[in-house]
Amino acid sequence: MSGAVPIGYGQLALALGFVVLAGGASLWLKLGLGRDLLVGTLRTVAQLALMGYVLVYIFALNRPWLVLGVFAGMIFFAARIVAGRVKGKGVPVFWPVFLSMMLSYMVVSFLVVGVVVQADPWWGPRYFLPLGGMVVGNSMNAMALSLERLFGEVKNRRDQVEQLLSLGAEPGEATAGILADAVRAGMIPSINSMMGVGLVFIPGMMTGQILAGADPLLAIKYQIVVMLMLVGSTALGSVVAVSLARRRLFTPGQQLRPGPLVSP
Amino acid sequence: MEEPAAPELLRLADVSWQAPDGRLVLDGVSLALAPGELAWLRGPSGGGKSSLLRLINRLAEPSGGSITFLGKPLAGWEPSQLRRRVGLLPQSPVMLPGTVEHNLCLAFGFKAARGQAQPEKQSLRAALDELGLGGVALGAPALGLSLGQRQRLALARLLLLKPQVLLLDEPVSALDPESRELVEQTAAAQAGAGTAVLLVSHQPPPGAAAMRRLVLDRGRLREEGP
Repeated sequence: MSGAVPIGYGQLALALGFVVLAGGASLWLKLGLGRDLLVGTLRTVAQLALMGYVLVYIFALNRPWLVLGVFAGMIFFAARIVAGRVKGKGVPVFWPVFLSMMLSYMVVSFLVVGVVVQADPWWGPRYFLPLGGMVVGNSMNAMALSLERLFGEVKNRRDQVEQLLSLGAEPGEATAGILADAVRAGMIPSINSMMGVGLVFIPGMMTGQILAGADPLLAIKYQIVVMLMLVGSTALGSVVAVSLARRRLFTPGQQLRPGPLVSP
Repeated sequence: MEEPAAPELLRLADVSWQAPDGRLVLDGVSLALAPGELAWLRGPSGGGKSSLLRLINRLAEPSGGSITFLGKPLAGWEPSQLRRRVGLLPQSPVMLPGTVEHNLCLAFGFKAARGQAQPEKQSLRAALDELGLGGVALGAPALGLSLGQRQRLALARLLLLKPQVLLLDEPVSALDPESRELVEQTAAAQAGAGTAVLLVSHQPPPGAAAMRRLVLDRGRLREEGP
């Protein structure tokens, strides 16, 4: 591996020119995005710098509890973002999201790092954190889409759900079609990206590996593993999250819970 | 000589219900229904009729008072079993995509129907004929039916479960006079066969004068006769 051409601080500063360009567009078209662009730029620099130092520290310590702790922390923030996105529907979803992410992402990350890539040890931070992070980052959107669809459909099809209940359906039976729609909504983007990968776009991870001097054929193998693991984690995560969240929509008496989703 | 009192099927004692927005929709409603009884319930829109039926079908919980079915509080029944025995026909019945037959047999595919045989085509046909849907093919798409046809199809679907109490929420609102008469006759026939029927309707059903008449106004129930 020849390694990537090093970027100095001066060159990094040059990249700020792109933000100036975007800021110019905002001023010219009165988009009102100046402040967001500034905050976004500062956060990008600060968060990635922090992550860089944290990774250096974690790589040096090389302890499983630390790696898994960081992974759990990533899931915690992802769950907060998802719960925030579907907030306002009156159903608290933080715990269903957190638990389903923890379960499914842990399983998928372990299978990818330990079984497919066969990194030794399986929790090795150089593999586990970037791959696990990709699972978390990509599947987070799927989960938010699934939950939004679940709540939206239950609200729109409330009469149907109640009618099935009143014909003797259990909550799971009364919402089986809605659950399938919700999981499908979450999975479609990752299936679409499987269709477009390599034709429409070169994924970020592969780009990074190639820039860092890796053999493109090796980069491709990793990318294939990543694409497939994303589909798996999306499916698993959405199914578990939607199933857990669905339980929160019903009372123990198998009624749709009153609240913003259900008008009287 | 007084006739012995019929055994009670359904009893509501001092039932109240507060909507999630805090409005008191039902206030101290008491009512008993015996097998074979047909009662007509009317009242202004928003007076709490649909809410009352929903409580009896246990789609919502009362805020106060108690409801018993066959002497047992509703909470003591398995919800799916209770709802099949205390059947509710809502004001706007929903049909799922699929054939008329699929929609008629929906409830037989649920876990609560375990051990119960799916009705044969002959009984499905008979159920449709009884409600004036003789011209509707079992294989026709249910969503292609008119509102009035769907309302009758939903009633046929409910009757296939042979409920002991039948709660009909304005079943004739979308019907022409002929179909309306068929539905009202069906309700009376059900009562004749021992089912307790609570019929919500703005228009008086045939024989209303001789019928038990209930009025629900601003959450309070009163009896008018016979």
